[in-house]
Amino acid sequence: MLEITGLSAGYGEALVLRDVSCRIAKGQVTALMGRNGMGKTTLLKTIMGLIRAQSGRINFDGASIETRPTHLISRAGIGYVPQGREIFDDFTVRDNLRLSLMGHDAATALPFDKIYGWFPILKERETQRAGTFSGGQQQILAIARALIAGPKLLLLDEPTEGIQPSIVQEIGLQLAKIARETGLSILVVEQNVEMVRILADQVMFMENGAIRESCDIATLRRDDALLHRYLSV
Amino acid sequence: MRNSLIALLIFAALAAAPPVIGGYWTGQLTGYLVYGLLAISLSLVWGYGGILCFGQAMFFGIGGYIMAVITKGMVLPDITSSYLGLIAAMAGAALFALALGYFLFAGRGISGAYLAIITLAIALVLERLMNNWYGLGGYNGLLNVPPIKLTFFGASFELWDRVPTFYAILIVVAVIFFGTTALLNSAYGLRLTACRTHPDRLASLGYSVLNIRLSVFSLSAAIAGLAGALFVTLDGFASPTLIGFTLSTEALIWVAIGGKEMLLAAFLGAILTRTAESWLSEIFGDYWILILGIAFMISVVLLPKGLLATPLEKLTEGKRR
Amino acid sequence: MSELLPVFLDVTSYVLILVLVALGLMIVFGMMGVINMAHGELFMIGAFVMVAAQGAGLPFLAGLVLAPLVVGFLGLLIETALIRHIYHRPLDTILATWGLSIALKQLIVLSFGPESQSVTLPLDGTLTLGAFSYPLYRLVLMAVSAVLIGGTFWLFIRTDFGLMARAVIARPTTAATLGIDTRRMYRWSFVIGTALAGLAGALVAPIISVDPQMGLGYLVPGFLSILVGGAGALAGVLVGGAVVGGVGNLLAVWISPVAALITVYILAILIIRLKPEGILGGRRAK
Repeated sequence: MLEITGLSAGYGEALVLRDVSCRIAKGQVTALMGRNGMGKTTLLKTIMGLIRAQSGRINFDGASIETRPTHLISRAGIGYVPQGREIFDDFTVRDNLRLSLMGHDAATALPFDKIYGWFPILKERETQRAGTFSGGQQQILAIARALIAGPKLLLLDEPTEGIQPSIVQEIGLQLAKIARETGLSILVVEQNVEMVRILADQVMFMENGAIRESCDIATLRRDDALLHRYLSV
Repeated sequence: MRNSLIALLIFAALAAAPPVIGGYWTGQLTGYLVYGLLAISLSLVWGYGGILCFGQAMFFGIGGYIMAVITKGMVLPDITSSYLGLIAAMAGAALFALALGYFLFAGRGISGAYLAIITLAIALVLERLMNNWYGLGGYNGLLNVPPIKLTFFGASFELWDRVPTFYAILIVVAVIFFGTTALLNSAYGLRLTACRTHPDRLASLGYSVLNIRLSVFSLSAAIAGLAGALFVTLDGFASPTLIGFTLSTEALIWVAIGGKEMLLAAFLGAILTRTAESWLSEIFGDYWILILGIAFMISVVLLPKGLLATPLEKLTEGKRR
Repeated sequence: MSELLPVFLDVTSYVLILVLVALGLMIVFGMMGVINMAHGELFMIGAFVMVAAQGAGLPFLAGLVLAPLVVGFLGLLIETALIRHIYHRPLDTILATWGLSIALKQLIVLSFGPESQSVTLPLDGTLTLGAFSYPLYRLVLMAVSAVLIGGTFWLFIRTDFGLMARAVIARPTTAATLGIDTRRMYRWSFVIGTALAGLAGALVAPIISVDPQMGLGYLVPGFLSILVGGAGALAGVLVGGAVVGGVGNLLAVWISPVAALITVYILAILIIRLKPEGILGGRRAK
């Protein structure tokens, strides 16, 4: 589904990603873990074309996308939920979702009812301004906004940051269910170990701009030495 | 250092010019030198100070009117000294800039695009004001401004002839140019760069960003005021066009084409654009302005550092190696 | 009352035209952060399209259709050839579009001459109601301007295009990650802004002096209106236009036009200085 080879990218002269290579299989949920400043967000931004790759390749669904403009990467079937959620505060819930549909081909789009079935809170508050929402509700909206376009791969950047624990679990379970149901692949940057345990099949650890190690979730459940090494928890 | 060497060579070439180019062009070139001084003032405030002023001619005009009023004896009939006029022109322009700068920059100051539009509006207001200030000649301006009268040790000499006027003005311009260059190479120049690029960090180091902005705004206004004062003695009259919007934007074009971040390039930008204008406007007629507008556009898009600054920088870097 | 009403109507028609010009500026500034100093010239060219259309014997309505088309196409060219390359350098857009304004002005001087042109009124009747009478065309002009302003608001507030445009204004990168082609939005917003200026120019051509220098007289008040009203919300233009256009023209009844203009500029500068976010508030306070 997504295959990255020898990717280097950064801000101006300063390289953040150094020779990153990894694969994400179809239907798989992969968590990307690591301490702050190791390049996790930069990797997601580079996949989305928000930061240009200086070298290396990003293949998605058999086509290379590293030189495409952001909106075409999105239209190719990659949904993106940025850090800080970035919902449109002045728009209603429905307009936030509609906006995402306008940017995409109607053929892949999901009906509103499907989204509202997954996240009933959005149905309840359909005509409310998104800016009035709590952090957790905004996060749900941001995820729904990406999902409604019917992506094949969803990139999530720290979805649990600044959200109360009860909603963290709810979001994690719901995403795991959606992934199982629809065959959606997910790449999630996450520091919250509980969330990773709920959601992920695979875990990759990032350090100093490169992916050092990866393992499946069962390994992580048995032994948390990797967590100690890469997260110092 | 290399930079100063090139500047010295250029000033030497200017000094050698009058016998070569003849009387008419010496007269023209004198005027261009004064425009060059205006360009230096704009480069200082814009390129070094980071303040995009769309109304730099207001200081030029204020200096010009003060000079005219004093040397015509309209303030004190007995004191018409050129020296006093020049000093008052510089001080008047600087004080006006200080007050205006305080209004614009203090507190949550105005910057960037907003500043450009506001200075543009102020220049328009001043131009309208002068057009209707009948005590200062209104639309026609003040005529019969006397030439500069140099007095040393009791002897006095009026600058009527082209060649002595040229050299007097060249000396003033050279002094201002090298003085400003020295200032920019000092610690003050460093603070100015810091103030332009990282005002927040400078403030956290305990410097007053407001004071630095005010100082560069006033200094640049004083230089523009001096240029205006010199200009009215050349043409013999001060009119509202000196203060207005058209001259302000012309100065912007010279400085942008020359190179705003390099005093020498801005100075040469004014001289060369004016020279080109007098030659090419004869050849191209009305098409010249069209060409100038397009050249300005292209230089902003393709050479944001300036048409002259780019090769000049190459030249100085080449010698360093 | 019957003496004040025509004054009030004159002021209103000026404000409406000013708002129309400022709206185009605001769309471009709000969306791309681009200060288009050539906007006044695009307004001026709209008026000259009307001059040329009448010169060619075309009816007034044809000129009214042609002006936004011609100027909008010019806007498309300008966006493609110039703005696209520098919209990430906002201060340079001021300079480059200033160069453009000089070139456009001179282009019109070269083709039509520097003198002012006259456009014949399409309607020369007056509306008389008792003691009150007023030129009919000015009333039509006001109605058309009001409809255009309303239409622009409708476009940006009610339509899909407007939703995308507002999304691009608020969070351009997020909009792109949702599949929205921000470059295309920039382009068409620029074209809409310029076409509005062209249409405004054609509309007022019969009642003002049409000459190559007329743009500046609308550009500066247009910008002041945006800044006074606040660059954040589209409705700021209405407030700003009413303050800048209304106060100046009302004052001109009692004091000289020059004094009125100076007063209103100073008032605008004071408001902008004391309330940089504008009367209605806005995000781009810098």
